Order: sequence, then C-alpha cells, then structure tokens
Amino acid sequence: MSKSGEVQWKSENLGKRRWVFIVFLGILTLHGLAILVFTRGFLLTRTELSQFSHCSDIQQSPCFSPPQDDQMVNHSRVCWTKPAVDRIVIIILDALRYDFVAPSTFFEEKKPWMDRLQVLHKLASQPGSFAKIFKAIADPPTTSLQRLKGLTTGGLPTFIDVGNSFGAPAIVEDNLIYQMAKNGKRVVMMGDDTWVQLFPQHFNISHPFPSFNVKDLDTVDNGCIEHLFPYLYKEDWDVLIAHFLGVDHAGHIFGVDSPEMIEKLDQYNGLLEKVVDVLESQSGPGGLHENTLLLVMGDHGQTINGDHGGGAPEEVETSLFAMSLQKHPSSLPSETDSLSCRLDMEKRKICTSSIEQLDFAATVSALLGIPYPFGCIGRVNPELYALAAGSWNLDIFNPESGINLSTLERWMQNYVNVLCVNTWQVKRYIDVYSASSVIGFSDKDMSHVSNLYAEAHDIWLYTKEAVLKCKSESESCSTLLPQLKKQVEAYSNFLSSIAALARSKWTEFNLKMMGAGLCILVLSLFVHIFTIKKLDKLCSCYLPRSGNFVVSFEAIFAYAAVLIRAFSFLSNSFILEEGKTASFLLATAGMLQLRHAIVKKKMLLEGLLFVLVVPLLRFGIELGQSKQAVNSLFLKSFASWTVSIDNGTNLWIYVADILPFLALVFLAYILYKSIRHCCCRGIFKYVVVGTIFTSSLIAMSWALDGNIFSPSAVIVDIKAYWIPRIIYVIGLLQLLLLAISQLCGKEKTSGWEEDTIVKATAMLSAWSSTIIILSGKQGPLVALAAVIQGWCIIRLMTLERGKNDCYESSTSYSSPVAKWSLLAVCLFFCTGHWCAFDGLRYAAAFVGFDEFSLVRQAALLTIDTFGFSHILPVMGLPLIVAACRRPEVQAEKRKQLFFLQLCQVYLMYGLIMAISMTLTIICVTIQRRHLMVWGLFAPKFVFDAVGLLLTDFFICFASLYYFK
Amino acid sequence: VFLTPVLILLYSYLRHDRNQCSYVKAVGRGLLALPAGAVVIALGATILGAPVGFEYVILPLRSLLMSLLTFVPAACVFGPSWSDWHRIFARTKENESTDYMISLPAHGAVIGAWFGAWPMPLDWESPWQEWPICVTYGTIAGYLVGLVASSGCIFFRNHQQHLKEE
Repeated sequence: MSKSGEVQWKSENLGKRRWVFIVFLGILTLHGLAILVFTRGFLLTRTELSQFSHCSDIQQSPCFSPPQDDQMVNHSRVCWTKPAVDRIVIIILDALRYDFVAPSTFFEEKKPWMDRLQVLHKLASQPGSFAKIFKAIADPPTTSLQRLKGLTTGGLPTFIDVGNSFGAPAIVEDNLIYQMAKNGKRVVMMGDDTWVQLFPQHFNISHPFPSFNVKDLDTVDNGCIEHLFPYLYKEDWDVLIAHFLGVDHAGHIFGVDSPEMIEKLDQYNGLLEKVVDVLESQSGPGGLHENTLLLVMGDHGQTINGDHGGGAPEEVETSLFAMSLQKHPSSLPSETDSLSCRLDMEKRKICTSSIEQLDFAATVSALLGIPYPFGCIGRVNPELYALAAGSWNLDIFNPESGINLSTLERWMQNYVNVLCVNTWQVKRYIDVYSASSVIGFSDKDMSHVSNLYAEAHDIWLYTKEAVLKCKSESESCSTLLPQLKKQVEAYSNFLSSIAALARSKWTEFNLKMMGAGLCILVLSLFVHIFTIKKLDKLCSCYLPRSGNFVVSFEAIFAYAAVLIRAFSFLSNSFILEEGKTASFLLATAGMLQLRHAIVKKKMLLEGLLFVLVVPLLRFGIELGQSKQAVNSLFLKSFASWTVSIDNGTNLWIYVADILPFLALVFLAYILYKSIRHCCCRGIFKYVVVGTIFTSSLIAMSWALDGNIFSPSAVIVDIKAYWIPRIIYVIGLLQLLLLAISQLCGKEKTSGWEEDTIVKATAMLSAWSSTIIILSGKQGPLVALAAVIQGWCIIRLMTLERGKNDCYESSTSYSSPVAKWSLLAVCLFFCTGHWCAFDGLRYAAAFVGFDEFSLVRQAALLTIDTFGFSHILPVMGLPLIVAACRRPEVQAEKRKQLFFLQLCQVYLMYGLIMAISMTLTIICVTIQRRHLMVWGLFAPKFVFDAVGLLLTDFFICFASLYYFK
Repeated sequence: VFLTPVLILLYSYLRHDRNQCSYVKAVGRGLLALPAGAVVIALGATILGAPVGFEYVILPLRSLLMSLLTFVPAACVFGPSWSDWHRIFARTKENESTDYMISLPAHGAVIGAWFGAWPMPLDWESPWQEWPICVTYGTIAGYLVGLVASSGCIFFRNHQQHLKEE
C-alpha cells in the first residue's frame, strides 16, 4: 500500500504546474546549451566593423612618413604608400585551378586540361619579363561570394558575418573597391553580377551579366570580351575588373575532364594573348599602359567534378598570374625562398611561387598607393610587390642624398616601410575588433600578439635610426641591409601569427565543441524518453492494465515516419525537397488512416477530407519552391504549376482575389460556432470575439488593397499603418487578458477537458490574427487548411481509440503527435518559406511599419516565419488530449490523468523536434566539408536550431498556461 | 514496360472464373477495372506528390500498369462485391489461396511503388530518376516480391493442410 501511496503522491506532484514547468525549462536549457556549444564550434562568426581607413590615419602610425611628407605637395596622390603602378587590369577566371595555369611538369602526370594557357607560360618564362605565376591559396569557404569578399576586404569572411546588412549582400565593411573609389581611382567592372550586388555604387561603369544560370557557358564570357577590348584602348579608368564565369560553369556542368572545359581554356588562351598584345603595344614610354599591372587570377579552385565550397586542396589552390608592363631598368631583387623553378614541356624555365589570397587586398592597396582596407589582415606579399614596384623612380625615395645604395637596399627600405604601415594597420584592426566584437579573441592570444608587435616595434626604432643615419652619413649603410632583413622578419612573424590566429578563429571548425554539443543534445533525448516512460508508468496505475502491450501498426508508422524524416537530412537533396518529403509522409499517414477507416467502416469522410487537403498543402509548397527557384542556384523547372499560373486569365486572378476572403469568413464562422457551442465564460468569449473583429479588419484592409476604391491618401494610410497596428495591439491585449484570467482563475473541479478546449481555442485565436495579417493573402487559406487537418487528425484519433479502449501507453498518442508535427513542417513550407536566408520574408517585417527598429522587426519576422509551423501547433496540441474522454474514471483521478497525458504529449512533440534536430546536427558534422555546407546545411541548421528553441520556449509558456 | 499489359492480362485470364460468373463476363470486368483502377491510383499518386500537368502523359500509363497489377486480378475474381474487396484490401485475413495470390502481390506493388519514390529527389542526375521510371521499377519489384511471397504462403499452407490431413 505504501508503494501505491507513494505513486499517488508522485503523480499528484507531477501534475502540478510548477513541476511541469521546471521539466520543460530544464529541457529548454539543455537544448539551448547544446545548440550554443555546437554553434560555437560550427558556425564561425565574425563581426563586421564599420570603421574605414583614411589617408590621414597614417599620421598616427610609427612608420616613415618623412619621405612622403617631402613629396606631399607635388605628389598629391601619395597616401599611405607610394603608388607603384598607375593602372591595374584584373581578369578573374572563376574557379581557375592551379594546374590550369602552372606547367604540367609541376605535377606528377600530364592531364588533358593542363598546359592549355600557353600564353601565360610563354610570358612567365621570358627572361627579363616581369611576369610570374603564383599559386594562390584561398581560404574556405570557397564560394564565389565569400571569396570576392575576402579578396576585397583582405579578411576572412565567414558564413555569417554579423553586420548591419539586413538581407542585402552588399559589403558594408571597408574594402578595396571602396578605397579605390574614394581615392580617385576609376573602377570599371564587367562580368559576374555578384560584384554589383556586393558593391552597388562603387563602380564608375559596370557591365554585369547574370551569373546564376549554370548551364549557360558563354553569355557572361562573350559579354565580357565584347566590353573588355574597347576599354583597353580608353584612358578613363584606373582599375578594370573582368570576371569570367565560363570555367566555373563548365566545371559545374561537365566536370574538369571534359571537352567543354578544354574548349573554354583554349578560348581563354586566345583571349589572354590578345589582351597581352594590346597592352604591350601601348606600353611604351608615354603610352597608355606604360605603368600597368595585369593580374589574371582565379577566386577559388574546383575539384575534378567541378565542385567547390569546401577546404580540400583542389578547391583551395587557385592561381594568380601577374605581369607588369613597365620596362624595368634593373632586375628584380631575388627572393628565392618560396620560389620553385622547373622546365616546362618546351624546356623553358618557369618559376612559380605561392601567395595567400588573404594578402591580395593589402598588396594591391600598396601597389596602388591607397589605404589598406580597415579589416585587412593580410601582409604585403614581397614577390608580387617586387614584381611591380621593383623599379620605380628611386630618386623619389632618396632625393638629394646622391649615395649609390644598391637597388636591393633601396627596395628593402621601401618594402620595410610598407610592411610597417601594414603591421600597424593590422594591429589597429585586431585591437578594435577584440574590443568591440561580441566574441573577441582570447586574452592569451591577444597578449602573444601584442608581444610580437612590441618586439617588431622595438626593432623598428633601430631600423628607423639606421635608415636615417644611412641617409646622412654613408659609412653606416653597411649595417643597414641585415637590419632591414631582421625587420622584415619581425614584421612577417607578427603578420603570420595574426593570420594563423584569425584562421583558427574564422575558418576552422572546433570539433571538440561540436562533439560536446552533440553529446548534450543526445543526453536531452534520453531525458525526454526517460520522462515519457516514467509518465507512462504513472498513467498506467490509474487505469486497468490491459496487459498485453500490443504496439499498434499506427504507432510503428509514426516512429518510422519520424525516423525517415530525420535520416533524410543526411542527404542534401532531401533537405532541398524537405517540404515535399514531409507532405509525402503526411499523405502516406493519411492514406493508412483512410484504410484504417475503411476497415472500421466509419469516419470515412474525415479520412477522405484529410487525404484531400494534403495536395492543397503540397500545392502551396510547390508555389513556395517556384518562388525560391527564381532567386536561387537550384533552378529547376516547376513548369507545370508556374505555367498554369502565368497563363492565368482574369478569372484566375479574380478567384485568387476572392478566395482569401472566403477562407477568412469561414474561419470567423468556425470561431463563432465554437463560441456558441461551448458555454464560454467571460474573458475567453471576449478574446474570441476580438479575433472575429480583427479578421473583419483584415478583410477590410485587403478590400482596400484591391482596385475597387480609388485610393486616397488617408485610406492608404489607414490601410498600411493603422489596421496592422490595431491588430497587433488587439493581439497583445488578448494575450494579456488570457494571462490575467489565468492568474485570477477560479478553481473548477469538473469539465477539465472543456476548459482546456476553450483555453486552447482562445489562445489560438489570439495568435492567429497577427499571424494571418503577417503572412499576407495566403494566410487564411493556410490557416483554414491547418484547422481542417488538425480537426481530422483529432477525429481520426478518436476513431482509433474507440476500439481498443484507451490502453494508456505513450504509443497511443505517438501517431497523432507525429502527424501533428508533420503537418507543422508542411505548414512551414506551405507559407512560402524555406530553409535559407533568402527564404525569409522580409516584407513581413514591415507590415504596419516603415522605419526600421531591430527588435520590433525581428519579432515580427519571427512570428511570420515560425507562426504557422511552431507557435500555433504547440498551442493547439492540448486539443489532441482533450478530445479523448474517459468517462469510466472518476473525476479527481481524471484530472490528474489528463494533465499527465498533456505533459506526455508535449514531451513527445518536443522529442520529435529534438530528434530531427539531432540528425541535422549529425549530418552537418559529417558533411562539414561538403560542397553545399554554406549553401544548404548551415541555413538548415540555423533554422532548425531556432525552431527547436522556439518550440521549447512555447512549450514552457504553454505549460504555464494550461497546467494548474 | 509496354509488353507487360498484354502479358499480365493473359495471366489474369487464367484464374478468373473460380466463382460463379462466366469467362467473358470476367474478362469484361477486368478490362473495365483497368481504367477505373488507374483513376484511383492516379489520384493517390497525385496526393502523394506526383507532378500534375499536361506534359506528363506517362502518368496515366504508369497508373494503368499499377492498376493492372493490383486491381485487375481482384476485379476478375470478385466482381463488384464490396465485401470481398473490403476483405482483400483492408483486412488482409486470407482464407483461400486465391486471396493470397491477389492481395500479397497487390500490396507488394503498392509498397514497392512507395519505396520507389524515395530515390527521386537525389541529385545523381541519372536518367532513371525521372518521375515515373523508378516508381515503376519499384512497383514491378514489389509485385514480384509479392508473387514470391504469395506462392510461398500458398505452398506453406498446402503443406500444413497436408500435415493436418495426415
């Protein structure tokens, strides 16, 4: 007896609100912790700083300004460094592998795609020419957008750069193009339209071509070629950027080892030959391209299959060919440390060296003499810098000393100064970054870096002295060169340690953190299951045990569906088609249910209705996907639907206009009926009436939206601002009312089920109006479909229950709950969302408001995105439990049982969400080097994480609301 | 794929008139059930997510095939008696060997088609991943498995009956 008494006590306790709340809160914190830890390891974030470099900043640096100060007057363009070249032609060949450019003798065996760009070999091997092939090493993620960002800002862009840009991809950080524009360089761009998205207003002239059609190999290239040559003869630009996409597209479609690719490379060979001819023909003294630098480079590599995005050597290694058109009087200072030379197929000696893409921005800035971008952490690459800057007019540097320093020394002096400015700027950025960003660098790293800087600075003081001394008295110059070398070493040391630090922070996954997060999440799964089992036991002591634990077919299907859905996340294509998968499973569930109904020979209508509404949901999903297809990479022809809509006659438009109204009216009618039906008490009644009122307001605003009335200013104002605001206010009021009623609720002993139903209805209606107005005209239709589906699920559940009389195990609820969650997923996709950041409906954030405020707009956006799929289902979940009545148990026990089951159902819903989240995390971990990580898996992860946390949060909220 | 209709129609003739009605009548019923079943299957496929459009002429072909595998034999044998249909497709409590012969392959075909739909969204870009093809393969595979299973069941049953008789 004591044991049963204990059980009794336990279950009484368990039914209590506080206990339940604590359980759910615990799960919420567990999930939150898991996601936080995992995110720290996986989603590398970087804060964008809004500071910009200015010419005048150089005054604050400890570096040499004297030689520049002297010249400031007559060389007004001198800013941070002396410009070494006047014009730069940058030809970007997207996805240019290193072995496209380097001679085949550098590799173990010759492949058909090698040695195609012969012109570059020829130029690089000519003795005395200033051309060189570099192996450029990019940093992952090797997607074009991130790479362009990295090239121009000189930083390491991560997947999520926390910044001010709300959706638009435009770069708000300081960058190369901005500095060019600001310092009077005229920039001309042609090719890939990504550039224009990134830099909407920095170009003087731009000829963008659409880049997203991967199957089109030639449009962008032909457009580029058409515009490129006329510009080579003009003089109204300083920097010319031509971005060719042919190689990238050929790789994506046909792979590297294909005739199309070789054709493209041959085409480029001819093109480059012509470009070089044109440039050389005008490179004489006084010519147009007297002091021009030609850069031919790739933004990233590609694998043999043409994929890129990850960090594999093939994807990371791209190439850079640089050629200075200056006729140099002297030879290059030789820096042979990273140089490797071999004979190519025609026995010409070709030397290559390597360069980090990180260093690109700094080097180009130094060459052009513009300030380095503020966020640049690269170092000026000595070889590339030497190539172009090897032979400027050295008199500028040492105007009146008249001492014959060797070329090398003078070059070194200048390079040291450039590096000094470089170092100073990087230090400044790191200091500002760690001071202002959310997640800065650790103190240990910072102090290490500071020590290195201080060391370098100490040496600099000596060097500066030595240089000055050398200027005045020629004897001391003998010690200058070793000193300079030491200085360069110190600076390089500092810069490379900065780069390593930044890489570890921004490009490397922290596997330990990821594993820890995963473990915590799995732990939470066990907590879930354990609690469910425990509640199971408690429930069973209330009811006569039916003994045989027959696991029903339905329950098995429910488990299977959840697992199938979860495991389907392991493949990128299933994530792409997630909505369809969910609707497929839902339809299967519906069909099984229908079959069941046929067997039982009742409730056929509900079954049929359920099955028939699914295709409507699918229609919504496909509509959403066709929207997605317009602005995403995954262009597919959803011909059937889109065509029928495009051909839509007036009738179609008319129907589309009138349908939401009908749905809205119907919804209002359902609500009205529900009031009439239950003997509703005061507050709840008012809440529901409020919703009916708001729905009429919504209808009014849409009516005004149509062309029926001539829009006067006042009406537009009312429509656009006041109605949504009134609806928000009413929604808030309703929630407040419900809270108040909860606080001073009277104790009632009978009719728990009805009570809960009323509460749930009131809650749903309070949320629904806001959600509907946010999601626009499709709102009421989707809401109606959701209501019908929910009703069918509940009805069909009672059908199932009718026969084998309520044997109370968790399995009996698992099937409806699984369906409920599938429905929620369908609704998410049905409302035109998908798991990508361009899938967010930013327009929804501005319903009723024009001006931007982060908190308010974020709240609205969240409600819009997750309203149908997370908030409403969680709030409506008690309906499932309430619909099943057990008259055979006496009232007091029934109450206990009811709340136990409610708790169980919520736990199960949470479990389903958590399972899919776990699989998403596992899949993200496995696929972290996958091509689509940043395009597909990471957004999916973010959406799932936010969804799970929101669900947990609302479950907590609901437990406060429903439990007593 | 196109030869199978003929084959299976013949196949269904062989075991039509166990019951009361005549041979010709049963054939007629089978032919009638073919389009009717096709409509039902097409409806089901649409609900499950098959693309709907005028350019998908293959859809009717496929559902014809499926209805051939599932409905036609049943129609041949049972005719319009609702209770028999109900017994076969819903309750799956087999009494005679004919029941096995009809219901197991039919269920096999449906389940096979269901599984056949899974590889469709994968991005392998192979030609057989187009919409109706792999589902059709799934159907046929499921049907064959069902056939084997049903013959196995019948064999087992007969064996048991023999044992009992002995």
